[in-house]
Amino acid sequence: MDSERDGAPSPLRRRVLKWITVLGGFAAACLAGVPSLRAFFSPAFRKPQGVAWVKLGEADQFDLDLPVKVDFVETVTDAWVENRVLRSVWVYTSDGENFVVYNGRCTHLGCGFGFDKDAKLFRCPCHLGVFDLKSGAVLAGPPPRALDRLDTRVQDGILYAAYQDFRVGVPQKVSV
Amino acid sequence: MNLLRWLDERVDLKGAKRALLDREVPDRLTWWHTLGSATLAVFVVQIVTGVVLATYYAPSPDHAYDSIRFINGQVASGALLRGIHHWGASAMVVLIVAHMIRVFSVGAYKYPREINWVMGVGLFLLVMGFSFTGYLLPWDQKAYWATAVGTNIAGTTPVLGAGLATLLRGGAELGAATLTRFYAFHVLWLPLSVGMLVLVHLVLVVRQGIAPRPVALEAGAPPSTGSPEYPAYYHKAYAATKRGGVRFWPDILGKDALVALGAVAVIVLLAAAFGAPLEAPADPTDTAYVPRPEWYFLPLYQMLKLVPGSLESLVAFGVPTALIVVLLALPFFDKGSARNLLKRPVAGLGLAVLLGGCGLLIGAAIRGSGPEIPQEVGRPLTSMERAGRALFHSQQCVGCHKILGNGGDQGPDLTEVGLRHSPAWLHSFVEQPSRFHPDSRMPAYGPPALSHEEIEEVARYLTTLRGKAGPEVQPQFVDTFPAIPAHQ
Repeated sequence: MDSERDGAPSPLRRRVLKWITVLGGFAAACLAGVPSLRAFFSPAFRKPQGVAWVKLGEADQFDLDLPVKVDFVETVTDAWVENRVLRSVWVYTSDGENFVVYNGRCTHLGCGFGFDKDAKLFRCPCHLGVFDLKSGAVLAGPPPRALDRLDTRVQDGILYAAYQDFRVGVPQKVSV
Repeated sequence: MNLLRWLDERVDLKGAKRALLDREVPDRLTWWHTLGSATLAVFVVQIVTGVVLATYYAPSPDHAYDSIRFINGQVASGALLRGIHHWGASAMVVLIVAHMIRVFSVGAYKYPREINWVMGVGLFLLVMGFSFTGYLLPWDQKAYWATAVGTNIAGTTPVLGAGLATLLRGGAELGAATLTRFYAFHVLWLPLSVGMLVLVHLVLVVRQGIAPRPVALEAGAPPSTGSPEYPAYYHKAYAATKRGGVRFWPDILGKDALVALGAVAVIVLLAAAFGAPLEAPADPTDTAYVPRPEWYFLPLYQMLKLVPGSLESLVAFGVPTALIVVLLALPFFDKGSARNLLKRPVAGLGLAVLLGGCGLLIGAAIRGSGPEIPQEVGRPLTSMERAGRALFHSQQCVGCHKILGNGGDQGPDLTEVGLRHSPAWLHSFVEQPSRFHPDSRMPAYGPPALSHEEIEEVARYLTTLRGKAGPEVQPQFVDTFPAIPAHQ
């Protein structure tokens, strides 16, 4: 192999051909590979979905000091399908004027939590997270942050909340 | 490079390099020898783009079209990716056919490469299978109708036809079962089959060596490759071609890489410039749609237009089958030791007739296509408008009226009629033209010729004719109705 015979391509020609192979192969791989990778990772670059103002009910109909769960149906675009999904929020007011609205998903891993009437606490059944009624703060269990409060607004006697989902399982409140 | 040494001690990297990369090859190989590896490179591109497309695609009639629209509009580089896969499919056909022509022209299918030629013919058929199953997947008009015709062609096969068509469609009709079936073929059956055949094809190329220039195997050769002394002659002559000291790496691979890069670059450029087509969603009720297959099926398509009905099944089934049989049998009956095409008049003539015939048929098919009926309303036609279009043709309206330069001269040109008249006016006119123009030669199409419902369909269709104006232009109706006679 080491002793070249007459007529064999020169070492220079071989060096050039090696570079052509490497660079040409790399360029061809990039031409087809970059769009492929971009397309594959496309969902990771998706912008967070905006907030949707949701009508929760007449402001003076909410009981004082007794939180109530409000369910509503939202139409969402799921890739190429229009889907209707059930969402829920907890509404709490102590005076009928100032409202606290929590996203209905536990901040631990996204289960729906419930209200414990006797202890006046929110309890999540999945992993036994416990939250304070008035502040949403974590009182016990694994949740990494307080319940997610949503912006509210009362207009013409109707209570609205800006519904939005947040990443679960992380200490920061990051919208998704 | 400790890791390399560690690996080498275990899997013998050096041995693999010696066997695959350092192997000596015949000298003075041409650029035509790069076509096979270029085909392989494009096939890899098809796999990569296809895998990503499959992550977004939903193989069901309810979702297929929408998921393609999603890829086009919502997936980053999605439209480009579809374009690469679409143009890559055409490139596969071009390259594999060019590769076969090269192998045929230098007689490389002869001793000892008969088996590899058969493998190659198998790969060619599988690539055509990829094309056929691939273009149903978008579930647009072309997808639906071209596949309807394609599976019906399979249905004309003698004896087995009916069963074959049902088997292809997964049922009596083209539908959901057909789509999942074609999808499974396209992404599982065919890639696995091609992968295995390519592997065997390449192993044989390495084992047997690259075929040399024809002249190197002709001087002093026994007249027939079937003669007992031919193998000895061949191996001596072949060994002589390797005396130039040319090695596969990098002497051959460098050229391969350059041509492969060129092929991929052309595909990506075409994809960026033209994308991949997507027509209106599949509509099984649209009987007026004229399906046209991809260009590489045009020879068969055009042939079917030329033969009378009684011979159709013979042509649709017989010609491709005969061609495949000839290709498969070729290395087993063509045992002359001449390899240069110029010394093989029969083979040369056969190739010229085949290529010329395909070229003429493709040319005729493209010329004879004619402009399609315009859909300038910016949306797919409604079912009513489509029914009207079907009536427009079945009533031979084009015998007297021109649309976009096609049709007769007796009546007015209807290319832009939709910009000038309302459906109500058109309905009244078609029903009884003499009320509008006493000397009109157009027959009255009112009942019993056509029902009012049918006339309305025609009128609705006519309002979609806007020439090249496009959907932005607002029609300016110039309807004038005749006065109703006083005595009625």
